[in-house]
Amino acid sequence: MNIINVHQLHKQFKVSKHRRGMWGAVRNLVSQDYQLVEAVDHIDFQIGPGELVGYLGPNGAGKSTTIKMLAGLLVPTGGILEVNGRVPWRERQAHVAEIGAVFGQRTTLWWDLPVIESLALLKHIYKIPEARFQHNLAEFTDMLALAPFLNTPVRSLSLGQRMRADICAALLHEPKILFLDEPTIGLDVVAKERIRQFIKQVNQARGVTVILTTHDLQDVEKLCERVMIIDRGRLLFDGQLKSLRDRFGGRREMIVDFTESYPDVAVEGAQLIAHDGVRATYQFERDELTASTLIGRISSRYRIRDLTVRETEIEETIRRIYEKGLLES
Amino acid sequence: MRLFFELTKQSIRRHLTYRAATLAGLVTNFVFGLMRVAVLVALYGEAQEVEGITVSGIITYACLSQAVIAYLSMFGWYELMNSVYTGEVAADLLKPMNYFSYWMAQDLGRAIVNLLLRGVLLMVLFSFMFELDTPQTAIQWLALPMAIILGWLLSFSWRFLINLAAFWTPNAVGFGRFGFVLSWFFSGFLMPLRLFPDWTVDLANLTPFPHMLNTVVELYIGVLSGAALAQALLMQLLWVLGLILLGQLLMKAAVRRLVILGG
Amino acid sequence: MRHSFELYHRLLSVQLRSQLQYRFSFLLEMFSTAFVVLLEFASIALVFERFGHIKGWSLGEVAFLYGLVETAFGLMDMVFSGFDPQRFGQSVRRGTFDQLLLRPINITAQVMGSDFALRRLGKIALGIGILAYALALNPITWTLGKILYLPVVVASNILFFGGLFVVGATITFWTVESIEVINILTYGGSFVISYPMHIYQQWMRHFFTYLVPAIFLTYFPALYFLDKPDPLHFPAYAPFLSPAAGLLVWAASMAFWHFGLKHYQSTGT
Repeated sequence: MNIINVHQLHKQFKVSKHRRGMWGAVRNLVSQDYQLVEAVDHIDFQIGPGELVGYLGPNGAGKSTTIKMLAGLLVPTGGILEVNGRVPWRERQAHVAEIGAVFGQRTTLWWDLPVIESLALLKHIYKIPEARFQHNLAEFTDMLALAPFLNTPVRSLSLGQRMRADICAALLHEPKILFLDEPTIGLDVVAKERIRQFIKQVNQARGVTVILTTHDLQDVEKLCERVMIIDRGRLLFDGQLKSLRDRFGGRREMIVDFTESYPDVAVEGAQLIAHDGVRATYQFERDELTASTLIGRISSRYRIRDLTVRETEIEETIRRIYEKGLLES
Repeated sequence: MRLFFELTKQSIRRHLTYRAATLAGLVTNFVFGLMRVAVLVALYGEAQEVEGITVSGIITYACLSQAVIAYLSMFGWYELMNSVYTGEVAADLLKPMNYFSYWMAQDLGRAIVNLLLRGVLLMVLFSFMFELDTPQTAIQWLALPMAIILGWLLSFSWRFLINLAAFWTPNAVGFGRFGFVLSWFFSGFLMPLRLFPDWTVDLANLTPFPHMLNTVVELYIGVLSGAALAQALLMQLLWVLGLILLGQLLMKAAVRRLVILGG
Repeated sequence: MRHSFELYHRLLSVQLRSQLQYRFSFLLEMFSTAFVVLLEFASIALVFERFGHIKGWSLGEVAFLYGLVETAFGLMDMVFSGFDPQRFGQSVRRGTFDQLLLRPINITAQVMGSDFALRRLGKIALGIGILAYALALNPITWTLGKILYLPVVVASNILFFGGLFVVGATITFWTVESIEVINILTYGGSFVISYPMHIYQQWMRHFFTYLVPAIFLTYFPALYFLDKPDPLHFPAYAPFLSPAAGLLVWAASMAFWHFGLKHYQSTGT
């Protein structure tokens, strides 16, 4: 049984077109042309309970529009949309009681209130029984290391602290689904890591379904088994992170350290993309050349001291998917 | 100078894009004009003329005071303050241009758009509803554009001064509001100054505010002429120069303060 | 319902505590709102010296109306500031309204609890001051009926203006940019009924009688309090329609609000 069921979902927006230049500005004043834009263009997907899905795409691709429809904030133009067996926008109050959401830079907490009081207020809002509340609060305080700033007003928290507090706030009522929109944006490496570990734990230990939108592909690599990629409203990919690599991550890199500095280290079948002193970097297609063949070719001419083979960065993979998407349209 | 006009042009283009807001403002000012006319005409009752202002004069006053609200930013202007609070001010100060001129160029663009789209258009609309007064002599017609431009300069310099408060206090918006309300009262925006008792008029004349609006109104409805007209324009000019000078001095102090405190 | 009410109280106490944390800025805003009322009223009072009356109403009588409207509007603005169209429009545009929609409780209670403009005490104090000034200039012969009816009239006006705020806030679901038009309704409405209604031309008076029943809120009750004859020849019970008119406007605004909520779609970004 799927917890989220989306079929041929689409959402149109009316966008005004602007003419350029001074004369154009004057003409805009009198008449304006509108254009219908498919922010989400007939997409299909299902998500099962307990999944942790990365939802990726460039700015304006339709990520937020999808999430807002799932959260019940936007009414779709058409298609089927069911979350927890409900149509989100039709039964808003019942729907939002069972989801948690953290929307990027915006806090759900009360700006001038100490964190603990904000959380206590949420206890009343979600009618969380006292014992459950205390139990969850203790657990999350521990996991997210909230204790040092529980009594600090939200306005004085650092970005990382605020994000942790917000994530705690989104989970206190034990939602079945958690929507996270850019949870690590603007955070330092340590803070990012702490949040990633927490998300993973909550997903595994409590079975919360998590949908994560992010620009940080490390989030995806460390957290998600499944990724969905959207661009210009179209779902370009939906599947395992591993198969994403296999299908699109064609190019690999080999970094070779030679025992001495050779003037020319080019070999056939691989592209030399960097050569500096004793170190050279080659790029090659995985389906055209195996790593061992390449090593053989190089070592037949030069003396190798050390080497590493690198898979393509996920950034690169996703960039290729976007490019492919452009070709299709 | 080229930079100044570039900024003005840019600002004109920007303000031309506020289509719905301009229309909304136009409608609002128009309806408030009708309401104010109704009250002022009722107040006049049987009287034909009070202190030189006729019934058509008071109607013209009510319309004109609505028509210049946007042009003179009567309801407040907090852009400079906000740029100080958001920190954008640092980039603005780095521009190869006097900080006062930098804002004036942009405000000029705003003023031009609002003078045409809200000021002139409103007066045309009002003239369909009422018999409006207009200047009587060629000299008054010549003086009118000057008074209107000087009125804007005065209004801008005053708003600039108020906004500088942001360099000293986090509560500049609150203080600024006092400044704007003062200008409503003493500029003749709430009531034409001539209808106030003498002591109020004397008090108003100690401030620059009458020259933002009241001078333009009196010129427009033709009660200002001859020596009084020349004197009014001269006073307008002197106040403009004075406020600009004050603005420059305070600006230097503000920038010094920003540099020392590091924002 | 009880849950919403209890939460409203909790949200309110948060609001008050937050605002009092910024004491200086709070005091400054309170004085500046009072200053606006003071200068606006002063401009009328000073001009009255030249004319003596407005269509038969003395300064004291106009001040009674004016003070009544200012007091009621200030009280309304304090309680219903969550619905202040300007503020509410911004919260829609910035997405903070979406945050409220993400909580499983009554949205009206949340909006009401999202702000409580204590700073309006400045306006309210001035309004009461103007009322006191009116009574000093023009003493009212108090009867038990009048004493009991005055708070009812104030409450009706609060509902009436609150309804206008709600209508204005609802319009921002469709357009945030045109928000200034709503001022016609709110500030325009309070401006018009601050003066005796018989001074207006018939079309304007009819608008504020049959389309927006503003005339029943202050003008007719004022005739009753001031013992003045009705030049418009309405039935003798007209002064007592104030609560009915207030409730009517409030109910209509609530219907519009729920209609707007149903059709509200947040922006896609």
